Amino acid sequence: MGVGLGVGVGVADRIETLPDRLERAGINRRTFLKYCGTLAAVLALPDAYARNIANALQTVKKPSVVWLEFQDCAGNTESFLRSRNPAVADLVLDILSVDYHETIMAAAGHQAEAAKAAALAEGGHFVVVEGSIPRADSGVYCTIAGKTAWQHLEEAAEGAAAVIAVGSCSSFGGLPAASPNPTGAVSASNIVSGVPVINLPGCPANADNITATLVHYLTFGGLPALDGEGRPLFAYGQRIHDSCERRAHFDAGQFVVEWGDDGHRNGWCLYKMGCKGPATFHNCPAVRWNEGTSWPIGAGHGCNGCSEPGFWDTMSPFYERLPKISAFGVESSADKVGLLLAGGTAAAFAAHGVVKAAQRKVPHAMLASEPDTVEPDPDEQADEKGPA
Amino acid sequence: MTVETPKQGIHGEDLDRGHVLIAADGSDIVTVRVWDRPVRIIHWVLFAAVIVLSVTGFYIGSPFIRQGGNSTGYLMGWMRFTHAVAAWVFILSIVSRIIWAFMGNQWARWQQFIPIDKERRRWSRETFKYYIFLRDAPPPAVGHNPLAGLTYTFVYLMFFVQIFTGLALQSLSDPGGWKGTTAGWVFNFMSLQGVRLLHHMIMWTTIGFVIHHLFSVILVDMEERSGLTSSIITGYKRVPRERL
Repeated sequence: MGVGLGVGVGVADRIETLPDRLERAGINRRTFLKYCGTLAAVLALPDAYARNIANALQTVKKPSVVWLEFQDCAGNTESFLRSRNPAVADLVLDILSVDYHETIMAAAGHQAEAAKAAALAEGGHFVVVEGSIPRADSGVYCTIAGKTAWQHLEEAAEGAAAVIAVGSCSSFGGLPAASPNPTGAVSASNIVSGVPVINLPGCPANADNITATLVHYLTFGGLPALDGEGRPLFAYGQRIHDSCERRAHFDAGQFVVEWGDDGHRNGWCLYKMGCKGPATFHNCPAVRWNEGTSWPIGAGHGCNGCSEPGFWDTMSPFYERLPKISAFGVESSADKVGLLLAGGTAAAFAAHGVVKAAQRKVPHAMLASEPDTVEPDPDEQADEKGPA
Repeated sequence: MTVETPKQGIHGEDLDRGHVLIAADGSDIVTVRVWDRPVRIIHWVLFAAVIVLSVTGFYIGSPFIRQGGNSTGYLMGWMRFTHAVAAWVFILSIVSRIIWAFMGNQWARWQQFIPIDKERRRWSRETFKYYIFLRDAPPPAVGHNPLAGLTYTFVYLMFFVQIFTGLALQSLSDPGGWKGTTAGWVFNFMSLQGVRLLHHMIMWTTIGFVIHHLFSVILVDMEERSGLTSSIITGYKRVPRERL
């Protein structure tokens, strides 16, 4: 399916409006409005906004989109190509003039670079970044058309309306930036300055969230509200754990303890299997994946926390609740270390006691014997005077 | 029978807050009410809170009770609720104890925990020597021994970390709420799972501290025969008169 391939499309084609395109594709207005309603829901807006979105999409001018792929697996592209309602989404996305996209563009070589240069020269474009940017050794680990990814991004971001980092790699460095990060990979926001950067992390980013972010811009003329990590609140404002369909099993204390056990078959909570839903902010439970078919926890697998910064390092081991503690090159579970700590303290002090007892030939107690005192009720007397 | 006499205390303070009892046989050992009532109450409330927090916290981290298939219960819910309530008891005890460090008797005061004078620092070192077998007798102390006082400062610092990591973890269901604004800054220093691990390891360290604390109390009590162990219940310790 072609996602608005502007490459090689003539200028005259740009003037065609969305209603024309819908009509030509045989999609009625009702289907279009339903899709706008879905987008309003993804953006956590009331139903009434579907009309605003529809109006905006029908009248908006084509903004240029340059889609850059760096150290990535093209997974976000794959995700993007699987929008909820492909027929309508394609056309909506056709509003965008995707002037450069390595994976799906027809043009190649100098022709492709020329299309990109033309789009960038106009300014006010969107730069979608997929993949992390290596900076070690001057960025030689990812070069395209003789330039490093670093240079490409800096050039593309100049004069852009916004930079949209799709996927965890461009948002937070992702897998290439995982320890030991041999290429010195960084996120788009580490490189870009002076242009707003929106992070849409996820491995991959959800197509509906990508579309909704663009549609938000087209509808309201601005970027959505972001959280502390630069992620739109409409998609990353709530924790997976708090909107999870298995939450009732968590609260009831019903957990899967082994793959394929009764609990697993009954759809119980995957907390004990290392689910990172309690540590992850994303709208997966509501928006889901593959046209709303399912999502990881719905399919019986715990969340990996893929939309959180540094997830490959901080969320692993993926099948355990807590990170491992590595000391002296040996990885150990937190509880083993804890038990060792508590047991070690007890053992150390027991040994200490033995030495002290052996050392003490004559008790140097200040008291040879108990003083012959009969104490009055302590607190009654004491508290009469009381502390000042 | 006991006689009560006004005494001059350490640093020349009037000891009437300390409540000294003198043995009738004129022995040089006096019984001093070292720990006033708030100190003892806070100690035991804190102890109870730590036990409840550890048990519920351990369940929350690794649910060890198997629930039946048809359960419509709320076990994790109640564990988390109890944990949160106990956490507030814990926080309030610590805040109360800090306030009392400015109001209580001389052995409850902050100078016991922060060795600002040289002499106290010297005795901290001496106490350490005692623990590593380089010194025979425990150092003379009426209230906390100087090293113990300093240790509690570090324990309290650890408790602060525990409180803030705990609030930060609780804030996750409502990052914009007051807990998020109070404790959310924790995540600037550490990943979310890192905070979780730290919170868990402080529990284990606290358990280690409790073991150490019990042992040291019994050891010193056996050496001094000062009634240190029971003093946290009665408030009274027996100390040589010249220490006052």
